[in-house]
Amino acid sequence: MLEVPGRIYVLATLLPLAAFALLLAGGAARAFYRPFRKGGGLLGTMYWVCGGDKPLRTGAYLATAVMAATAVLAVAGLVQFLSDPTEGSIRASRWAERIDWVRIGPGDTLSPPEWERQRATDNARPAPRLALALELGYKIDHLTAVAFAMVSVIATLIFVFSTAYMADETAETVLDEGVKGRRGEGGHGHGHDSQPLSPAHPFTPSGFRRRGRYGRFFLYLSLFCFSMLNLLIADNLFQVFVSWELVGVCSFFLIGFYYERPSASAAANKAFIVNRVGDAGFLVGIVVAWSYCGTLNIEELTRRVRAPAEDTHGEYEMANQIIRVSAEPQLPTATAETPRDYVLEPRDEPGTGTHVLLFPIAWAEPTHFHGPGHGKHKDSVFEVPVRGDYVSYGVIPYALFVLMGVGIFLGCVGKSAQVPLHTWLPDAMEGPTPVSALIHAATMVAAGVYLVGRCYPLFAAEVLLTIAYVGAVTLFIAATVALVQTDIKRILAYSTCSQLGFMMLALGIGAWTAGLLHLITHAFFKALLFLCSGSVIHGCHHEQDVRKMGGLWRKMPVTAFTMLVGVLAISGAPFLSGWYSKDQILAAALGYGLEHKAHVLLLALPFAAAAMTAYYMFRLWFLTFAGTPRGDGAAHAHESPLAMTVPLVVLAVFSVGVAWGWPFWEPEASALGHVLEKAQPAFVAAQFAAEHREAEHRHLTAGALALVLGVSGAWLAWWLFGWRQPAGVEMHKPGGAAYRFLREKWYFDELYDAAIVNPTVGLAKFAAAADKAPTDRPRVFPLPTLDGLFNAVGEACVAAGQALRAVQTGRVRTYVLALALTAAAMLGILTALAK
Amino acid sequence: MSELGIQPFLVLSAFLFACGVVCVASKRNAIGVLMGVELILNAANVNLVAFARFNPAFRLDGQVFALLVIVLAAAEAAVALAIILNFYNNHGTVDVDSADELQG
Amino acid sequence: MSLPVLLFAVVATVTACSALGVVLARNVVRMAVWLLFTLVGVSLLYFLLGAEFVGATQLIVYVGGTLILIVFGVMLTAQAPLREIRTRPAEWLVGGLVGALLFGLLVAVSYQIAFPPSTHALPSVAPLGLTFLGVTDASPTGDVTGVPNGVTVPRTPVAYLLPFEIVSVHLLVVLVGAAYLARAKRRVRS
Repeated sequence: MLEVPGRIYVLATLLPLAAFALLLAGGAARAFYRPFRKGGGLLGTMYWVCGGDKPLRTGAYLATAVMAATAVLAVAGLVQFLSDPTEGSIRASRWAERIDWVRIGPGDTLSPPEWERQRATDNARPAPRLALALELGYKIDHLTAVAFAMVSVIATLIFVFSTAYMADETAETVLDEGVKGRRGEGGHGHGHDSQPLSPAHPFTPSGFRRRGRYGRFFLYLSLFCFSMLNLLIADNLFQVFVSWELVGVCSFFLIGFYYERPSASAAANKAFIVNRVGDAGFLVGIVVAWSYCGTLNIEELTRRVRAPAEDTHGEYEMANQIIRVSAEPQLPTATAETPRDYVLEPRDEPGTGTHVLLFPIAWAEPTHFHGPGHGKHKDSVFEVPVRGDYVSYGVIPYALFVLMGVGIFLGCVGKSAQVPLHTWLPDAMEGPTPVSALIHAATMVAAGVYLVGRCYPLFAAEVLLTIAYVGAVTLFIAATVALVQTDIKRILAYSTCSQLGFMMLALGIGAWTAGLLHLITHAFFKALLFLCSGSVIHGCHHEQDVRKMGGLWRKMPVTAFTMLVGVLAISGAPFLSGWYSKDQILAAALGYGLEHKAHVLLLALPFAAAAMTAYYMFRLWFLTFAGTPRGDGAAHAHESPLAMTVPLVVLAVFSVGVAWGWPFWEPEASALGHVLEKAQPAFVAAQFAAEHREAEHRHLTAGALALVLGVSGAWLAWWLFGWRQPAGVEMHKPGGAAYRFLREKWYFDELYDAAIVNPTVGLAKFAAAADKAPTDRPRVFPLPTLDGLFNAVGEACVAAGQALRAVQTGRVRTYVLALALTAAAMLGILTALAK
Repeated sequence: MSELGIQPFLVLSAFLFACGVVCVASKRNAIGVLMGVELILNAANVNLVAFARFNPAFRLDGQVFALLVIVLAAAEAAVALAIILNFYNNHGTVDVDSADELQG
Repeated sequence: MSLPVLLFAVVATVTACSALGVVLARNVVRMAVWLLFTLVGVSLLYFLLGAEFVGATQLIVYVGGTLILIVFGVMLTAQAPLREIRTRPAEWLVGGLVGALLFGLLVAVSYQIAFPPSTHALPSVAPLGLTFLGVTDASPTGDVTGVPNGVTVPRTPVAYLLPFEIVSVHLLVVLVGAAYLARAKRRVRS
């Protein structure tokens, strides 16, 4: 198996799926044996073996162990990948494989690499047509390897943390205090879990009684990890999309883990629905790619969109670029099947081409081909057949090409919680804290940034600018909102939003490596911060309001210290991991802003947000840990058990050192950054050469500026919350208009409610009223309802039947008469026809 | 027979057939209906034999068909009489109009 | 007017009148008698057409068997001495109209076909019996009708052994069924 080392990754991806399947089977078996629990006998015994009334811990430990195995495999794979001495196509074949999932068309159509292999022996083999297959495959490059290791390591630590954090769920009966009051008798939530355990109604004045859901939590987590890992190794957009949706549905399950709480189920719905908006765009992008480029394999898409790096005559000016062409007028003799000629746009008028040229996946003449260009030995006229195959050129209208990029990016906007689809992320805090850590650090939100990095070559310049602006706006809005939040998890949620904005901005302005480096480093310190907040919440008996905390420094020293590390890292304190990535991003932003004066916003917003980041993170830390306790929960806090603190320490170590390099005082020298740089698409260096040069030139300025801004933000937080020690009362003041504006998150939710949700609900109510004949209340509309319409049809049928009843006299003679008449009529018709 | 065409036979057969139909359609006595059916079958038989006579290709088959029809008519009469007897047992009459259980 | 025509005219008139009698008679017994004459007339027609075997069968099976069955039926279902069940005039009118319509149509149709006067004799009893036994004349002379002129369609020899068997079994089944249906029922005495 290991002659292809890439299969380590397949194994590592499938392990969590196996854990998921095992837990699911166990749960199903328990549910199956449940009716026999009182009866005894073999079946009854099986019920108690499967855990009985009390949730089993075995499944959770198993899932954790499996995840740890995945992490070990991932690290082993990373080491092997980085030390693999092979190059070129041999390396590609060692770290990528693909198989057909669905292939339509004649039986001898083959995937492009397979076809090229066969063509080597049989030169006359015709090229198969495009867009005939959905494939499954994996492709490991430096980005995948690093991200895979990051995800699996963080996930393992979160699993370990969860075994302790979710310990409440191992009880036979859990009292959920988040559900208040009685719903209607027989209301839902009256599920299987609660019936035999509490014969009374599960809704009590103090909360909702239900069975613990320890195993279920780990079941979802395992599926979540599988989905994310599968997304990372996928080599085609279709597989990405499948995993993408799996990630979405897992987040739905986990955010709505306490689904009896109305707020939790609403938040789960919101996350799911808002993500659907983005996914619709993603699907549009995929379909455009499929119908024009004829493949979903990311590498082949790149090969189709970007000019080859070199042709038989060596390198040339248009290497790795998007080539625009225009259609030649067609001859009058042309039919619908005639190939059309497209000509390269004139050299002195760039940007006039109406179409983007798509290059063949394989060259018709593998030993000799010309790249596009105006000179000798270059092609400037391209013949595009109506039905493309592997060796033919293609074109895509430029607008559609942009639409494709924007569509794919829209999917990423939804997943990575960028403005305007960011509203689900703070609400997702309804899930258990380890879930928040997983979503925010390693899995879901990372998927969007990862995919932008993956599909980078497919984005036109306009799309990249869109990405940059969306990122800049997001990082600024989220940072301002985070300034005034009081829920510990919401502060972190908005900071995640903001940091994701940094990544998008970096990707948009051509700092590909910096953006993805920030993805990795951010994953570590954000996981750390979330787990720390989980530890705080756990220690403070589920108190989440930072205004009621304080003084936890003495009670929870490990948590306090590790969280300080996380705060320093995210604020960009020198020599911690966040510093390397953030400094690169800010330098790139400075370079880009100075190079393009029109886009000065892309320079100003991240620097302002950098200061705000330091402020709100230190505010959080000081409010939580410094001073004296301001609430009951904080007063009786205690340090968390070892299973929670050990992951914190490990993550803290990663947060400090994951991006180190030599010399370590040089942010550009990050070893991780250099690894990632090897995966950077080839065109980036050329297209953003000026910006990169400027960034290189100014990076000391940027670093100094960022440091000054960060220190001043941190100092302000210390002065306000560490030194002045405001009383609890002071913090509950309503504040001014600007404060309220930020407090209410720029009124995004209200805006969406007014603009989209309420009209939709109104429309739905209108439709329902138009649909259903009211039975118990007066009619809403004077018009007949749809129900009434159908009833009328039914009644008409009944009336017609009643009328026709008389025809059926039951008398034989009538029937005979009818028969005779029919015979006469048929005879008459035949006679008439015969004439 | 050479001067007689097939038409007179067909006309007679048509007359028998029409009589049978009228019988079936208007008699209220079940046995009368049965007789009407017999008339119809006879009309068909006359046709068959006439065609056998005038169409050389049909000369054997026409007779065979007629014979089969006669036999089947006998069987049909037996079953019909059995049904009529049953009907009489149940209803106390042979008036087919009293059999309106099929009324919708 | 030759003898066959004369004979046909007499027989046809008798048959038609008897059939009309069946329709018009109100008494069931009289209807049965009119039916008897009709059946005999039809059998005479068969003889006239040269189908002696069919005619004989008609006499034996119909006149001797079926009609007797019917008479038994009449007797077994006789109500208050030969009560008549009257039909309303309107029903007579409708039935008569339908009958007339059918008759007219059939006559119209029958005058649309034309056959040359027959020159061949119908086969006698012997070939008929052989046909039922599965032996058939191997060289039929006639053409199949209904195909365009000038096209000769060779006629496949047909034998009727299988239909014969099927009809036999069918008869058996029918008679068993009839016996079952008509069996005397024991009334439950309460």
